[in-house]
Amino acid sequence: MAWWNKLLPGESTRIDPDWPVWYQQYTAACLAGTLPGSHPLSTARICVVDAETTGLDVKKDRLLSLAGLPVTDRTIFVRQQFEAYLPTPPDQLDHRAVAIHGIIPNSGRYVYDSEAELLRRFVKFIGADGIIVGHHIGFDVEIINRALIRAGAGPLRNRVIDTGQLAQRVQPAGYWTPPETFGLDSLARRYNIPLSDRHTALGDAYITAVLWLKLTGRLGDRVGRALLVEDL
Amino acid sequence: MANQVTRRLYDFLKDVPPFNYVDDEAALLRVASRVEVTYLTPGTVVFRPGEPPRDRFFVVKEGAVELFRVDDAGEQLVERCGEGDVFGIRPLLAEDNYLFLARAAEESLVYAINTAGFRELLPLYPRVTQFLAATMAGSNRYAITATKPSPEATAELGAESLAFGLLESQRLGNLRQPITCFATARIVDAAKLMTEHNVGSIVVVSREHHPVGIITDRDFRSKVATGVRSPQDGVIKLMKKPVVCIGPTLTAADVQIEMLRRGINHLVQTEDGTRNSPITGVVSKHDLLVLQGNNPAVLIREIGRAKSAAYLRTLRERAERMLATYLEQEVSIVFITTIMTRLNDEIIRTCIKMGLARMQADGRGNPPALFDWLALGSQGRGEQLLRTDQDNALIFADVPAARYNTVKDYFLQLAGYVTESLNQVGFEYCTADMMASNPAWCLPVSKWKEQFTHWMDDNTAENLLNVSIFFDFRGVWGDGSLPAQLTKHIFRERPGSRTRFLASLAQMAVNYPSPLTFFRNFVVERSGEHKNQFDLKSRAMRPLTDAARVLMLEARVGNVNNTFRRYETMAELEPQNARGYREAAQAYEVLIRLRATVGLRRQDSGRYLEPKELTSMQRVLLRNSFNPVGDMQMRLETRFQLNFLR
Repeated sequence: MAWWNKLLPGESTRIDPDWPVWYQQYTAACLAGTLPGSHPLSTARICVVDAETTGLDVKKDRLLSLAGLPVTDRTIFVRQQFEAYLPTPPDQLDHRAVAIHGIIPNSGRYVYDSEAELLRRFVKFIGADGIIVGHHIGFDVEIINRALIRAGAGPLRNRVIDTGQLAQRVQPAGYWTPPETFGLDSLARRYNIPLSDRHTALGDAYITAVLWLKLTGRLGDRVGRALLVEDL
Repeated sequence: MANQVTRRLYDFLKDVPPFNYVDDEAALLRVASRVEVTYLTPGTVVFRPGEPPRDRFFVVKEGAVELFRVDDAGEQLVERCGEGDVFGIRPLLAEDNYLFLARAAEESLVYAINTAGFRELLPLYPRVTQFLAATMAGSNRYAITATKPSPEATAELGAESLAFGLLESQRLGNLRQPITCFATARIVDAAKLMTEHNVGSIVVVSREHHPVGIITDRDFRSKVATGVRSPQDGVIKLMKKPVVCIGPTLTAADVQIEMLRRGINHLVQTEDGTRNSPITGVVSKHDLLVLQGNNPAVLIREIGRAKSAAYLRTLRERAERMLATYLEQEVSIVFITTIMTRLNDEIIRTCIKMGLARMQADGRGNPPALFDWLALGSQGRGEQLLRTDQDNALIFADVPAARYNTVKDYFLQLAGYVTESLNQVGFEYCTADMMASNPAWCLPVSKWKEQFTHWMDDNTAENLLNVSIFFDFRGVWGDGSLPAQLTKHIFRERPGSRTRFLASLAQMAVNYPSPLTFFRNFVVERSGEHKNQFDLKSRAMRPLTDAARVLMLEARVGNVNNTFRRYETMAELEPQNARGYREAAQAYEVLIRLRATVGLRRQDSGRYLEPKELTSMQRVLLRNSFNPVGDMQMRLETRFQLNFLR
């Protein structure tokens, strides 16, 4: 049950000269060929991504920080991590989300990018061949896509995998596992991943990355052969 | 700013050896930032024997990874690495191919540490290297504790070192102002200065006050008084150089060790501890002596003068504090046991003296025959550090049958007094009544010979247990002639029964299988009062002492009771097996140290260990000691053909 990005009709094969150059290059690379489903998962470049936002409304809320950790063949390459912060939008300054993610608005602790710069760096980090993995990643991708559109670019074109759905495949919901047990907190607890730094983008990305390793490990056991990209 | 993931990795590493020895947060954060986190499903192979080294070594974050030796016989488990254990360090230290097969035993998360960012730290933190060397699977290095005095140095100390007393943990602090002169001075000027200030040394300094040489009283005696040098010569002709320098932060212990190692009596303290900085002080052997109140020599003298068991108890407690300092300072176990044995012996002798005085007071007069007090068990072996139950016996010269009862009665009463005093000092009565006050263990030489013959002829379990206690006897009172007769008798035993006897003894040593490795770093007792604890004595120490004893009996070597000296002796007798014996000796030292450290902290015998009360370092050392235990047991099985006995 591969999960594909829905690309808007008409945008999938055309390179719009109005796009920022970095998005044009990214699209060109994507059009030149994405990873086939028969590709072994072990050599695929997995990008575990997590976004912290001002809230949960994709129409209104904005990115505060974005983090990514590359994973290849069961190993998290911490050193090649991606991390970026945005200043809090003025109208969101005293939003209650601050209490959740602990990012103090416009704190001097972080180096801030502009939204466009963050997106450019992020798209470069993901590349055309990266598979985006995240927990309930649909929301994060939507937030990022809306930011991309605001920046005059198009949406992400990479293959996207949700660890929440993957967890449900590994251990389906049922009478004994109510749906809320597929939240990152309860999954992390189930798979014995310490939660010390929940609600920072990179911290969540790390927890998700470990969860990804454990889930694909179990799925591999069940399938009984090396996993392919299309198995996910 | 370090991000959350690096911080998370750092938080784990900072508590795990060897990373915990790196006290530079920024440096460790840099190491953490280069970590790769790898997930292993059960059965995943991390590396195979013969594979070339990688630029990574590994720490188990969760789960367990097992290391196997692979040969024709298949795979043998060498080690099981649990949470916080480091493996695959051969590339880092030895630049060597992998020796073992590493495979995940369960679902595991391991941190791969980049050697590139880590190797630079090694020169800065010697403890890191020491730890890694000790941890390296398949190696039997116990080098961690060898940083303080070397065994050679301490072995030579002998009585003189006791007179000087060693190693207080106190910092030297500000030393006395050095008396100095410039290199242009004449010998006679230096002599005048020294006399004026009443000091035993003068330091020759450069214009910048860097030390260039030192002249001591000894030089005047050996060179000026003998006419080799004239008093009118320049000091340069008399001084010794280069000067041995120390830094300002050293402890008295360090200084003492430096002096012993170099065979000198004076050290010069400079600002940065090298000859290229200004002199700040001088310390002599005599200064050190003054610094130290609680030294063994003083204690031994005090013990000898004690008039009551209560005071002896106080002194023994002081000795225990001294022991704690030694352990903390990681002084060599050979040295520690030597000192503690002499202290204990002196306590026994004083108790005997007090007992004899009470016999006089009771009107029973002087001893009716020559006698000796036999220390048994660990005290007999000279390995007793903590106060455990007393095990002792009494031997007296043969007397005519007519006098036998009176004589034995005298010694029984004396033994009663002595054991009572020892009990008051803190050596509790032996619950099995293996004490000189027991009529069965207060015997004349001839009866002891019969007893030993019986033990050697009739190899029941009970007799063998007695052997394990009584065969380590050591006389602490008399001139040694009575115990010597007994030793001679034991080695004269008939060949046939002897073989059987030795095999039975060896069997006893292999009865307790040593744990191959720890599960989650620990093998614990499965049932009983000490459930979930590790029985250090039965599982690790007794097999080693038993093996050493039977080897010595077979080799017909008497008078060597100490287990590590026994192994040392075996190593000399059988050079082809020297390495195995030395490893056993080292392992035994590690175990004694561990037991004493734990026992002192808990104020008990230290016999049973709780997994969680050990530091990771202690666990590694303990784990490493198991290999020699297993090796020794295998050696006994082959040598005494134990397989045929079963």
